[in-house]
Amino acid sequence: MGQVLVLGLLSGGIYALFAVGVVLVYRGSRVLNFAQGEVGTAGLFLATWLTVDHGLPWIGGAIAAIVMTAAIGVAFERFVVRRMGDAPRVSVAVATVGLLLFVSTLELIVFKLGGKPRSIDGPIAGAGAKIAGVVVSPTQMLSLVVALGIGVGLAVLLRRTDFGLGVLAAAQDTAAARLVGVPVNRVSAFVWGTGAAVTTLGCLLIAPGLGAFAPGAVSRLFLFGLAAAVLGGLTSLPGAFAGGVIVGIVEASAGRIFESVALPGVKTLAVFVLLLVTLLVRPDGLFGSKA
Amino acid sequence: MSDRPGLRVIVVGVVAALAAPALVHAGLVTEYAAFVIGTGVALAAAAMSLNLLMGYAGQISLGQYSLLGVGAFMSGWMTPATRLGLPFLVALPAAALAGAAAAFLVGLPALRLRGLYLAVVTIAMSFALTESIFRAQSIGGGSAGIALPRPQVNNFVFTRNGDYLGILIALLVLVWWFDTNITRTTLGRAFRAIKSDESVAASFGVDVTAFKLGAFALSGAMAGIAGLMSGHLVGTVNSESFQFEKSLLLVVIVVVGGLGSRVGVLTAAAFYALFPVVMPSLFGKGILGYDLVIGAFVLIVTMARNPSGLAGTVREVLEQRTTRAEADAPPDTTAMPPLPVLPRPTALRGVDHNEGVVLECTDIRVHFGGLVAVDDASLAVPRGRTVGLIGPNGAGKTTLFDVLSGRRQPDSGRVHLLGADVSAYGAARRARAGLGRTFQNIGLVRDLSVTENFLLAQHHVSGYDPFSALVYTPPVARGERELRERAAAAIEALGFQRYARTPVGNLSIGQQRIVELGAVLLTAPEVVLLDEPAAGMSPAAAENLAERLIDLRDALGRTVLLIEHNIPLVMATCDELYVMAAGRIIAHGTPNEVVQDDLVLEAYLGGAV
Repeated sequence: MGQVLVLGLLSGGIYALFAVGVVLVYRGSRVLNFAQGEVGTAGLFLATWLTVDHGLPWIGGAIAAIVMTAAIGVAFERFVVRRMGDAPRVSVAVATVGLLLFVSTLELIVFKLGGKPRSIDGPIAGAGAKIAGVVVSPTQMLSLVVALGIGVGLAVLLRRTDFGLGVLAAAQDTAAARLVGVPVNRVSAFVWGTGAAVTTLGCLLIAPGLGAFAPGAVSRLFLFGLAAAVLGGLTSLPGAFAGGVIVGIVEASAGRIFESVALPGVKTLAVFVLLLVTLLVRPDGLFGSKA
Repeated sequence: MSDRPGLRVIVVGVVAALAAPALVHAGLVTEYAAFVIGTGVALAAAAMSLNLLMGYAGQISLGQYSLLGVGAFMSGWMTPATRLGLPFLVALPAAALAGAAAAFLVGLPALRLRGLYLAVVTIAMSFALTESIFRAQSIGGGSAGIALPRPQVNNFVFTRNGDYLGILIALLVLVWWFDTNITRTTLGRAFRAIKSDESVAASFGVDVTAFKLGAFALSGAMAGIAGLMSGHLVGTVNSESFQFEKSLLLVVIVVVGGLGSRVGVLTAAAFYALFPVVMPSLFGKGILGYDLVIGAFVLIVTMARNPSGLAGTVREVLEQRTTRAEADAPPDTTAMPPLPVLPRPTALRGVDHNEGVVLECTDIRVHFGGLVAVDDASLAVPRGRTVGLIGPNGAGKTTLFDVLSGRRQPDSGRVHLLGADVSAYGAARRARAGLGRTFQNIGLVRDLSVTENFLLAQHHVSGYDPFSALVYTPPVARGERELRERAAAAIEALGFQRYARTPVGNLSIGQQRIVELGAVLLTAPEVVLLDEPAAGMSPAAAENLAERLIDLRDALGRTVLLIEHNIPLVMATCDELYVMAAGRIIAHGTPNEVVQDDLVLEAYLGGAV
């Protein structure tokens, strides 16, 4: 039991970080950015190339990756999302699917030149501590702290600052927000850029746990982040956190209870069932409101 | 004229299905080429399944390719000699059913939510199927996968790709024929109405939930068939065959092919099937993957420029050309033509009722957060009368309309239509029971032509079961003929022959209001709710509208409830008036009584008089 909780919390923290990125974009633009996970993976490859192949310290690679992916997010907002104005949200979402495929295919093409799976160390070396029978690495501890810190920081930003209120207002009614002086374009660029940056950070923190990775390595984990965001109601940052932890714990318990040779991949199946059942019972997620 | 597309598809299909094996046998097409063409045919069927869901019904699925796996593994359970050993023709409907069932399950949350949530569920389905279910030893045969045998008739096995290609083409034609039947009947019109605006669809009596789930199931059935097609072509399937990336490829094909355009989707599918085979042999292996880079880029650009897809752009250019010619004629908004005399609902539905009060609501209460929008409102609309509902902006009139028409559920209060308690009915069911309504922002499907909107409006009086339209039975053909006759008659009566094929969105607002009124009448309503029909009209046009509203009552015998700010129009047409202010009904009486009421003057002018 304790073991399941620890495992669930550790992966749940990363899902929460992914979910925070999803929720941020949703709050600013009422759309899901399906490409976020893959853009983050591209950042991960950049960081690996810089640190492993060119000897940069971890933090240097991480900053480069975050800057690049934030730039991709901002550029996509500027040249695609903003041009689409108030087109149906499903159309904008389809455009992000295009970005997802664009990035992942480019990754594959570049990756094939190199040839073999890559790996990258975490920011902190060390043996790690044993909690409830699970070895927790320093990077994993750090991820939890970072996830919480970013979540709380963004929540404060959104609730307590004029800019944050502008983000909320822009999502409710763009025209009205513009009239009362909200810098709508800057708000929109901010959520797309920050959403991508947060996701990249999540990718960097989970990468050591993945061992070797190839393009598409994060797509299933990002799906869990999406599921966490939907469970949390898509608009709520605390909801995104709770969603992340719930997904993490369901995943860990399913792996523990049901995993067998007869039916592999039970973790993914469990998260799918969780999502389907939750949406049938509570269409607005566990913490969402109709508004 | 409506029978020809189906016939053409079948003739072309039979010829192609027979020609393909003949060409291979004659040595003009190699076995390998037949295999490559076969993958293209299967991919086209898969893309058509997503096209139905995304292009017609406007629902996004990012896990469509995994449904092909459902069909393929269903066949993998039934056809191999080591398992059930059943014939290919038995596995075919089973694969379709399995695909439909899986899609239905994933579409279930559509009962209560829309759009992006569903997309996440479809991704989750894709991963759950490929990482778990398909990898189960009993279903997917583990890492070795499952060998699917080629079909067999008596002693003849379709081992050669050329022979099997004939079967593949025949199945694609079958899918194509289903698709044609969907687009030319009430089924496809209902899908497109849902894509455009669910409230408008419901106002024409379309059961939005049922049709959305229907779109998922039909699309899943097509995907199941496509999975069986490709599975028996390749020969072995495992979980790797149905990865998430393939679903994304389908999205690219459908969007680049033009969202809803059959020929475009077929072309795009052919391109993506051939590129990875043809191009590397010409330009070397380095070119692999660039088809997807280009496709993804075109998809993004297409979406940013025109969300209705590449074919939408082409269509729009063509339309601009035709409508520019039409625009030379002055927009005819001043003289509203006489309304068409359309069949009475009693004649269409075979019901007869003579209640004195057609529509009635009691103690309706609606609140938004802390604001009470409608506060214990009650009103009654007597048969054959025109009743006006007036009041200042924000009084709650449109909210009350939404409650009456079933678009919004009130916190409390009841609604009676033709004597029956319809409080529990949704908008579509009330529309079917005889309630028609217009919207302030025009309740029509903008991308559809006037004719198509008039056909859509007759959704619930079509006289055939929408899902039997799939096989275009004689009753369907007959029903469609009647709908088209009625639509043509209405267009003629309104003098819109010239605009019959023009998308409604390209008409002037005045023209759209006329078309909307015509469409509502085609739903065969007993009572018509009109929400500010004169908004934006010139005084002359409004005067003309008044005459038409009087016709509506006297010549056509319809009961009318009217929200309007144009007081001269209200005075000229209404038998009774209700006045709303701040959510309450504050006065009721004849127009002359009401305009002399002190409370009404106060509500309109603000302050004591």
